[in-house]
Amino acid sequence: MTTAQPTKPRVRRAARLWKYRYHYLMFLPVFAATFLFFYLPMGGIRFAFYRYTPFQPPSWVGWANFEKLLFQRPAFWTAFRNTLTLSLTNLALSMLCSVTLSLLINEIKNRFLKRAMQTIVYLPHFLSWVVVASVFYIILSPGNNPATSGLVNAFLTRWGLVSKPIFFLADARWWTPVYLFISRWKETGWGTVIFLATLTSISPDLYEAAQIDGAGRWRQCLNVTIPAMMNTFVVVLILNLSKVMNLFESVLVLQNDRVLRATEVLQTYVYHQGIVAQSAEYGYPTAVGLFRSVVACALVLICNTVSKRVNGRGII
Amino acid sequence: MKERFSLAPEYRARTLFNIANALFFIAVTVAMVVPLWKVLVDSFNNQTSYGLALFPAKPSIDAYEMIFTQSSLLRPFLVSVYTTLAGTAVGLILCTTGAFVLKDRDLPGRKALSFFLLFTMIFEGGMVPSFLVMKDLRLLNTYWAVILPMAMNVYNLILMRNFFENIPESLYESAALDGCTPIMTFLRIVLPLSKAALASVGLFYGVALWSNYTQFAIYISDATKHNFQMRLRTLILDENALAAASSLGVSSKSVQNAAIIVAILPFAFLYPFLQKYFVTGVNMGAVKE
Amino acid sequence: MTLTKRLLAAVVAVVTLCSMGAAVSAETVKPETITFFIDTVFGSMMLDSTFQPVVDAFKEATGITIKFIKPDHSVYYDQLNLAFASGDIPDLMEIGSTNYPTYASNGALWDMTSAWEGSALRASGAVKDENYVNALKIEGKLYGFPLSMGNGTITYIRQDWLDNLGLTTPANYDEFVETLRAFTEDDPDGNGVDDTFGITAPGLINGETPYDIYLREFYQDAKPDIYQNADGAWVDGMQEPQMLDALYRLRDVYQKGYMDVEVITNNTSAAREKFYAGQTGTFNYWAGNWNVTIENNTRKNFPDASVKPIPPTGGIYIERPSLALAISNACANPEGVFEYLISYAYDGAEGQTLFTRGIEGIHYVKEGDAYKQLPDPENTEKLFEKVIAAPDLVYTSWADPIKLDERVLSSKAMFMENRRFDPVPPASAVWIENISEVIPIRKEAIALAVTDEGVTPEQAIADYVSQAQPFIDAILAERNGK
Repeated sequence: MTTAQPTKPRVRRAARLWKYRYHYLMFLPVFAATFLFFYLPMGGIRFAFYRYTPFQPPSWVGWANFEKLLFQRPAFWTAFRNTLTLSLTNLALSMLCSVTLSLLINEIKNRFLKRAMQTIVYLPHFLSWVVVASVFYIILSPGNNPATSGLVNAFLTRWGLVSKPIFFLADARWWTPVYLFISRWKETGWGTVIFLATLTSISPDLYEAAQIDGAGRWRQCLNVTIPAMMNTFVVVLILNLSKVMNLFESVLVLQNDRVLRATEVLQTYVYHQGIVAQSAEYGYPTAVGLFRSVVACALVLICNTVSKRVNGRGII
Repeated sequence: MKERFSLAPEYRARTLFNIANALFFIAVTVAMVVPLWKVLVDSFNNQTSYGLALFPAKPSIDAYEMIFTQSSLLRPFLVSVYTTLAGTAVGLILCTTGAFVLKDRDLPGRKALSFFLLFTMIFEGGMVPSFLVMKDLRLLNTYWAVILPMAMNVYNLILMRNFFENIPESLYESAALDGCTPIMTFLRIVLPLSKAALASVGLFYGVALWSNYTQFAIYISDATKHNFQMRLRTLILDENALAAASSLGVSSKSVQNAAIIVAILPFAFLYPFLQKYFVTGVNMGAVKE
Repeated sequence: MTLTKRLLAAVVAVVTLCSMGAAVSAETVKPETITFFIDTVFGSMMLDSTFQPVVDAFKEATGITIKFIKPDHSVYYDQLNLAFASGDIPDLMEIGSTNYPTYASNGALWDMTSAWEGSALRASGAVKDENYVNALKIEGKLYGFPLSMGNGTITYIRQDWLDNLGLTTPANYDEFVETLRAFTEDDPDGNGVDDTFGITAPGLINGETPYDIYLREFYQDAKPDIYQNADGAWVDGMQEPQMLDALYRLRDVYQKGYMDVEVITNNTSAAREKFYAGQTGTFNYWAGNWNVTIENNTRKNFPDASVKPIPPTGGIYIERPSLALAISNACANPEGVFEYLISYAYDGAEGQTLFTRGIEGIHYVKEGDAYKQLPDPENTEKLFEKVIAAPDLVYTSWADPIKLDERVLSSKAMFMENRRFDPVPPASAVWIENISEVIPIRKEAIALAVTDEGVTPEQAIADYVSQAQPFIDAILAERNGK
């Protein structure tokens, strides 16, 4: 009896595992690919504790890289703060704008117009950031004279809204709002793709039932559409949160010398460090990267827990 | 409730909403189109202008001619088509199977497996270690080095899982009663019901693979194996190539802008085509009966 | 693999030393193959037909097979680092002046000082101007051979604008500023619209060394970098009195509206395009071939435009260090690479013709007495320009069989008369670690001092010092301590 006791759950467990044998089999390719292409390179995370150039074997430096970034580099903390505020605002806005735009597109009844709108709003995603930046520099240009100033400043001065053209991208007060606007311009349409796909998979039954209950369009949206989108919303939010610390190219192409401190984020900080001195040293950047990852991990876990409490579902 | 364009009390709110919505989308269209129009105009302008213009000052299609007559662009184009199709196919296989497995809430070890995948979204090894792994796997200078890491995309897998979770549980139960193995359920029930999901996630894969630049630049040093995107980038960024264009009497700026237009053109046609699958998404009401 | 290569290199080095000590003139062993990492040269290498003929011709001439490796330009140094990290180290590599000292200080490059000094190449006198070689020396040691002239910027001006306004070429700084004023206020293009300004640039400070390569008229003798002054002491140029003068000069023209208000957000292509589009009539850009490109592009908009380089007003032009051809320390036979490839490619004769103009019948033809370029195999609509070294940037006694455009020669000649060499920057661990913190602070200080009405140059410098001093002190302590 006493010996049989512990084997029983084990048997049951084995039986359960056996029941799911096909599942594990199906998961095998995913497991293998993840292991090969993501886990094997992760050995490189150890370089955060080394001094490492391609020319010599890595040499162990303990916590020195972290001491450097935490205590000896004021620029690191500025960049860290900027990263958090800029990308969290950006994420919040992106979720809000994408969902709203999807709901409004969904209200267009003409099928041709609907498709045309969807396509137009998603096209800017395919312009690279370099191109987007160069176009917006021109549109927002203050210009040396009225003839060379950009569309926006020409409009503002023509109607007497400002006395002197605004140098939007070189003014620390304007830079963040303008950055957020350009990001939304480029990515909102792309963000709607997943929500529009979700909207189409809502069962028409639900709307019929709501109509029978006498719900108008607005009620239907509140009681049917939004709850049905909630899961996708949470999943997309958490997935994007995991990338929140990676803000890079969009900032790099829009920042300039005059607003360098106000706009430097962690990725551009590391990039500038590398590009300026061509140090070919990978230890310190890896340490900054690891720091980023730990913060992102904390954000994801917090959001996941909150979502489980409120919504009953997270992604882990 | 029927739609009608009328200001009678019962339709008023709806009509006003429709007008407001139309005005909103007109504004959005203008905001979206102005910068795109600038690129388009510059691509047809055989003169260097700095600033916005409604129409090209010196209209010409020389820039497009220069791009399309470059014999060295055909091969990169085929490379792009191949890697995009292969990568999307492999990617969809990996993310649908993975999503199907992780969807099952009773699966022992589900949480651990989810965490195993999500961890890779946040922690990464970096360029040098990834390169060394590719080298050890003998994948350098092969298209697999581009296709496989991009196909194994956790972001897409989790999105796919979210779509699968919307499929009613009762369908799985009845499938199990009919004696379906999980693999048969996957093939016969889950996939056919997920067209919208497959279309949108497939679009994510296709776009990422088509515009892939980083992986090609790092893992493929043999320039004869480079894709379309890399060649266009060279056209846009390479000072030498631009100086060469100007020696031919083609404005280098028009070449840059034409390259940008050529790069986004496929997507302008792809999305409207895919939207067909968005309307015939999962129709659970029909399946239930 | 690397270990054996290194051992072999060590053995070769020892053998060479012994043979030199014993004064035995042992012949250098000829390498069988040479792997060669290249970046800015040789087209895009999309087609075998571009480079294979050169490889064949070189093999025929010397019996050596070259294996060219050409990564994408934007990831060139990533790829070079990866090559070192993975042990597939090339024998020979092209390397720019920012990376060159880093690689040398990390012991990645072979010291070619003695190979160069005792070489038949040097004895032949083909290298007319040894300044180019000497400019690449780090603490007296040579780790790379100049690929071509380093080149630098020169001031280009719209001659037709000067003519319209009845002005002559500005001869000093005050006349230069007066020209900028006239270009801004006196309608130089005569179209009756206020649509021009004096000067533009891709930034107030360059992104890499030499930091002051643009806006030469304003920087003059100021140097926004840490450098060794005439007394041999290392100083922070930002805190020298000349820098304050330079900032006031820049601020003056910026605040008066003579300079492009967007100078801080411009990249190089934006600056060029504004010049082409007739918004501005002055800017600093590379001497040589670019003169033709700039004039051609401007003429597309204004058929009567004429773009002329002018001598420096108030300052001097700067020649940056050349791109280097460096031999890796892992190379099994560095002497062989130096003697059979580098010495051949810069021999001032047939070897240099092959590595510059290519092959007769494929890249150029002889018609009567004149040589003519043939179309580029990669893009048949344009003429084949160069194999490795650019023909407009040659520093040896080589006589180019093909005559260059007069404008290229004249702008190059004017540059050479009025330029000094800029040294290779240091690259110790202390330097690299601290300079990368200093540079962003420096850039912001300059931008504010010049463009912000409410910040004086003194305030900007004081703010810069308060943030950057610890890093500057660390660098100066190391530099001056030596």
